[in-house]
Amino acid sequence: MQLLQNPEFGDKIVTLMAALVLVLQIAMVGQRWIVTNIRIFGAQSFLLAAIAGTIAWYNSAPHVFIAAVLTLLVKAILVPVLLERLVDRIEIRREIEPIVNVPVSVLISGALTLIGYIVAESFYRPEYTSGPASMGHNTLAVAISLFLIGFYMMINRRKALTQVLALLSLENGLFLAAISLTYGMPLIVELGVFFDVLVAVMVLGILVYRIQETVESLDVSKLRKLRG
Amino acid sequence: MMERVLEGLVQLVLLLAVAPLLSGFIRTMKARLQMRRGPGVLQTYYELHKLLRKGMVIPDTASWLFSATPYILFVTTIAAGLMLPMVAAQAPLGIFGGALAVVYLLGLGRFFLALGGLDTGSSFGGLGSSREMTISALAEPAMMLAVFTVAIGANSTSLAEIARTAVAQEWRFLAPSQVLAFAALFVVLIAETGRIPVDNPATHLELTMIHEAMILEYSGPYLALIEWGASIKQLLLMVLLINCFWPFGLPAAWSATGALAGLAWLLFKLLLLACAVVLVETTNAKMRLFRVPELMAVAFTLGTLALVSTFLF
Repeated sequence: MQLLQNPEFGDKIVTLMAALVLVLQIAMVGQRWIVTNIRIFGAQSFLLAAIAGTIAWYNSAPHVFIAAVLTLLVKAILVPVLLERLVDRIEIRREIEPIVNVPVSVLISGALTLIGYIVAESFYRPEYTSGPASMGHNTLAVAISLFLIGFYMMINRRKALTQVLALLSLENGLFLAAISLTYGMPLIVELGVFFDVLVAVMVLGILVYRIQETVESLDVSKLRKLRG
Repeated sequence: MMERVLEGLVQLVLLLAVAPLLSGFIRTMKARLQMRRGPGVLQTYYELHKLLRKGMVIPDTASWLFSATPYILFVTTIAAGLMLPMVAAQAPLGIFGGALAVVYLLGLGRFFLALGGLDTGSSFGGLGSSREMTISALAEPAMMLAVFTVAIGANSTSLAEIARTAVAQEWRFLAPSQVLAFAALFVVLIAETGRIPVDNPATHLELTMIHEAMILEYSGPYLALIEWGASIKQLLLMVLLINCFWPFGLPAAWSATGALAGLAWLLFKLLLLACAVVLVETTNAKMRLFRVPELMAVAFTLGTLALVSTFLF
């Protein structure tokens, strides 16, 4: 019980979970199967919800709890289920075909993480970091890396569906940055963001389905040709 | 002086005795998870006993390398095992080397095993050797990065020192650098012990085998030495993982009661780690050989990140 009161322990847990989120992001780059990718995204969102929950607990901020629960429901459960159903419907169980091959991609994401750490280093002020309010400042580096790697994944992938997945993981990075720096934005902003994500997934899902129907492929480079 | 010798002997006996038990345990657990009854936990001992009593067939084309390889492999593995803190945070051969010596003694053994595979001139041996070398050339940098990460934390490459530092800092294994290094070393453990996503220890199908292909020409006592050496190597890597990252309950110095408590903890943690390995092995399919570099790239990146985050966090 004492551990649950000790902010230092909370800080360790948050940093640890942030590191795991980063590992999952790199696993997403390294993984070829679309369905596995969706599941990794679900796990990542689950960890993100856990981070938000921990920060809410140690800062006793009830509105962050709501954000945590929403993350859990929307991003860890609803979005993966929707995407998996989409994969079933358009009948592609094939592998992701990235432009740059997997080992090089993984090494590039390692380098991007390095950049993330270097950028976050300039925001680090050790003299202000004491007490529960400073918790999770280390996670900023992870958040920036998630963002950069998410961008890289979007550039590196050809199929529309996998680009949607990359966009979602990029959004996870933004959420992590927001939660670790500000301990939660106002609830109304938070709700707006979640609604946005949900609508984006639905619209993109329909769009992906339409692309598949019209072009009979999800390769976005084929959309360059005009069709009459 | 006598005590040092005694400690060394105790650790030697532990290495020799626990390693086959660990292999047997992993095999039994794997069978149970696949809803088979499987062999008993002691099966590896029976197999070693059987092999040691049997005669040998040595190919006509084999040179002295073929006969020297099992001994070199066995001795280098044992020597590496004695440089490791096992049931106390002291290594019997610790004065001769630390983490680097352990990694490269294992490398020496592997080098000779690959030569032994090539020596008879059979195509399978050459195939196995080239595959083994490809994978280990990729696994070694990842392993070194992870080892350096823990060594920086302790300011020493001595494994006993690393274990002592880890015992002193209670929650250190939760630090991101440690977790990343642990993940990298775990992938390396899977690759180096020839477990399923990389190699299948239970197959003799020519397309997929790596370790089995190299030792295809060996029989009788030589095969027993190689198999025993391989299981000691597996034990050694697991103990390395446990005592670098997770050493609570490890006494700082040798004593009869302390060593017993340390042994009990060690066995318990080995059990957990073996269960993790079994889970990975049953839930994954074997990778195609050309996909293995991808896994190793992930391990390497994890190791790099671990090293980077020790400096930046």
